[in-house]
Amino acid sequence: MNKKIQWTLWAAGLALIIFYPHVFGAYYANFLVGIAIFALYASSFNLLLGYTGLLSFGHAMFFGTGAYGTALALTHIDGLPLIPAILIGIFSAMVLAICIAPIVVRVGGAAFAMVHLAFGQLMFMMALKLRHVTGGEDGIGGFPTPPLSVPGVFSLDMKDSTLFFYFAMAVIVGSLFLMRFLIKTPFGQVIVGIRDNANRINYAGFRVPHSKAFMYVVSAAFAGIAGSVYVLFQNLISAYDAYHIMVHFMPVIMVMVGGVGTFIGPVLGAVIFGVLEEVVTYYTHNVGVVYGVILIFVIIYMPLGLAGFLNTIRMRLSAIWMKSADKSSA
Amino acid sequence: MKFFKKISIVFSICTLSALALGNYCPSHATTAAEKFGTPDAAFDAEEMGDMTGYDPSNPVIPTGDTIKIAVVASFSGPAAANGEFYFNIVQWVAHDINQRGGIFVDGKKKLIQVFQADHMGKADQARKIVERMVLQEDVDFLWGTDGSHMMKIINNMADKHGVIALNATCLSDDLQDATNFSPYAFHAAYSTEQVGRAFGYFYGQRQKESKFYILNQDYSFGHNLADGFKKGLKEYYPEAEIIGEDYHKLFLTDFAPYLEKIRASGAEVVFTGDWLPDAGNLLKQARRMRLDVPFANIYMDEPNFLHEVGPGGTSGLMNLSAFSTENPQFQKPGYEKFYKTWNNLYHTTWNTAPYNTRTFENYMGNWGNWTMVTYWLMSVVERAKTTDAEKIIEIWENDVYQYVNGKIVKMRGCDHKIIHDLVIHEFVPKEEQKVSFNIEPYYWYEGTSSYGPSWVVPAGKILPWMDPELERCKGKSPWGE
Repeated sequence: MNKKIQWTLWAAGLALIIFYPHVFGAYYANFLVGIAIFALYASSFNLLLGYTGLLSFGHAMFFGTGAYGTALALTHIDGLPLIPAILIGIFSAMVLAICIAPIVVRVGGAAFAMVHLAFGQLMFMMALKLRHVTGGEDGIGGFPTPPLSVPGVFSLDMKDSTLFFYFAMAVIVGSLFLMRFLIKTPFGQVIVGIRDNANRINYAGFRVPHSKAFMYVVSAAFAGIAGSVYVLFQNLISAYDAYHIMVHFMPVIMVMVGGVGTFIGPVLGAVIFGVLEEVVTYYTHNVGVVYGVILIFVIIYMPLGLAGFLNTIRMRLSAIWMKSADKSSA
Repeated sequence: MKFFKKISIVFSICTLSALALGNYCPSHATTAAEKFGTPDAAFDAEEMGDMTGYDPSNPVIPTGDTIKIAVVASFSGPAAANGEFYFNIVQWVAHDINQRGGIFVDGKKKLIQVFQADHMGKADQARKIVERMVLQEDVDFLWGTDGSHMMKIINNMADKHGVIALNATCLSDDLQDATNFSPYAFHAAYSTEQVGRAFGYFYGQRQKESKFYILNQDYSFGHNLADGFKKGLKEYYPEAEIIGEDYHKLFLTDFAPYLEKIRASGAEVVFTGDWLPDAGNLLKQARRMRLDVPFANIYMDEPNFLHEVGPGGTSGLMNLSAFSTENPQFQKPGYEKFYKTWNNLYHTTWNTAPYNTRTFENYMGNWGNWTMVTYWLMSVVERAKTTDAEKIIEIWENDVYQYVNGKIVKMRGCDHKIIHDLVIHEFVPKEEQKVSFNIEPYYWYEGTSSYGPSWVVPAGKILPWMDPELERCKGKSPWGE
């Protein structure tokens, strides 16, 4: 794809985001925000699984902690502006990751997944038990949503769904590009190298556990951003919404269906499940059954996910095209 | 002379006590009926539509220009039964009113259309489905729900989009506090503090048992309920003793460790707010372990599991009801007609599960309360002659309504919380149920104990908690005046 087409696509995407809430209305604007939040959450998980080769069954720890961080800050600090509230959410998720990282980066494979499952359940139980802090099952809600403001310059009311749409999309799309940028850097390539052959990277002189730990914290930070935007969007966070087992597994499923180890895969996964839920719930309450059938289909027929499947088709088509070009030139 | 001296001493003591203890004198226990007198509106069973053929599993739902109500609840997952229950209730009201020709609003008669909105027990789905209902389906009313955290989202969305949200089932007091209050949200269910205090008051008056054990589910609801009970005992029965307090995880299948502790403690009553399936398993296991202690409860009244335990094991249970009145229950002919309509449909028309199970056999308890608060909302709409939320708020605030069984309720204007008497029933075997069930066949259930003797807990003793931080309520009495 040449630069001109790329820029045209970006411009089209930007125009779509700008006009989307005005064309489709508040309901579909919120629908897209919901998808975008989970796209970011799944992408943060993809940093671990797709690029670092670490399968975690406890990624909701960071999503939930980011959400709780922001919710608690807005509840207890009067007049806290929006950006610091989000930063507190991100910082909370990062601190948790920094605390856990020394333990978990020394294990891999199934052990890494199971340790996270255990930590995830520990967080879930703590959120339920410490109900004076977390609100337990009822959660924390009704906290003020501050405007996005620069004193003396502008102030945007985040209770307005259109303005919140722009804000959320800016934060989420910006975060997605930061992740993409990180993977393209030399450090990102080292991380991919660790996923493919950790011993070789070790022999090359890089500190594998430290690099993994860094990526782990970065991944947690992005999950924290997703959680923080989620809580601003929902104006409520409870133990179930933050740390329930399904919140841990949701990004795993999205990444597997969308395509693991690709930038677009988790986004596709979030879109597929978001649209599917929207359509299916018009006809049946049994959304879980449809999810299950799709997951089985994808695992059997598209083991690399939708992005991998599309890539395979693209490669086959280009091979056919090249073959026919060769024939015609001959 | 001596007589007058005695009278004056008693009078002085009573006056001083009343001043010191904040009206704690049985003679000051004001019921809702005494306080509010004539209601602004009442449910009249004579005006009921023809319910023949009504089947909740195959409802007739009108479309087009209708009054739209969304029942927001779990319709899938482990709590799916709740959605079925709520839908039956709201659909019953809709069917009745539609059979009467609808309600005159905005210049014409409109029928009622009920939507099922499945929140799946998830916050993000709750928000999404409520927005879909409000923005896509244009519903006028949101009816909820199972889970106070879900109700918070519904109320939040109602506030944002300016539609009325009726909380018919959630108990959390903080739903209407200064942080969460919305003028569009109405709390028509009893609350955790009210339930706890009602039992505290009842046992304080009864003075029969004095050793209590608290066993609740280990989450906010269970703890809040326990706090309410402790507050009630402290307020109305300070001599009582809480000799044990435990919280178990949800959906527990083995209660033996807790039951052994209860047995060892010598508790005379176990206070529990457990809901199904925990309530059923707790009772069944207690009786199997030959622990015959009575349970003071709010959800240990589901007929299917009560039948599994049988009349002996269910006798002595103390159940709190938001619908009942003082005994006998069928004092008003209208209630008898309503009851028989329901009961006949159960026997003749409702052939599909869950509507053909014993759960739906008798119109009592939660069914009564949920239908009546829905009728109340529709009565307000009828009087407002519009579905405009602002007009409805104006009429519903401080509105006094009478249920089919004569019970009087009021919507406290400043924080939109229901004020009503509550009733505690002692469960007794079939032959003793006549005191409560005073029409043919003179019992509620044959295979289990059910409502027998009843005690009214006057509204004046259990006025719902009012947040002092809520600006609208500052300077108001607990009655909201």
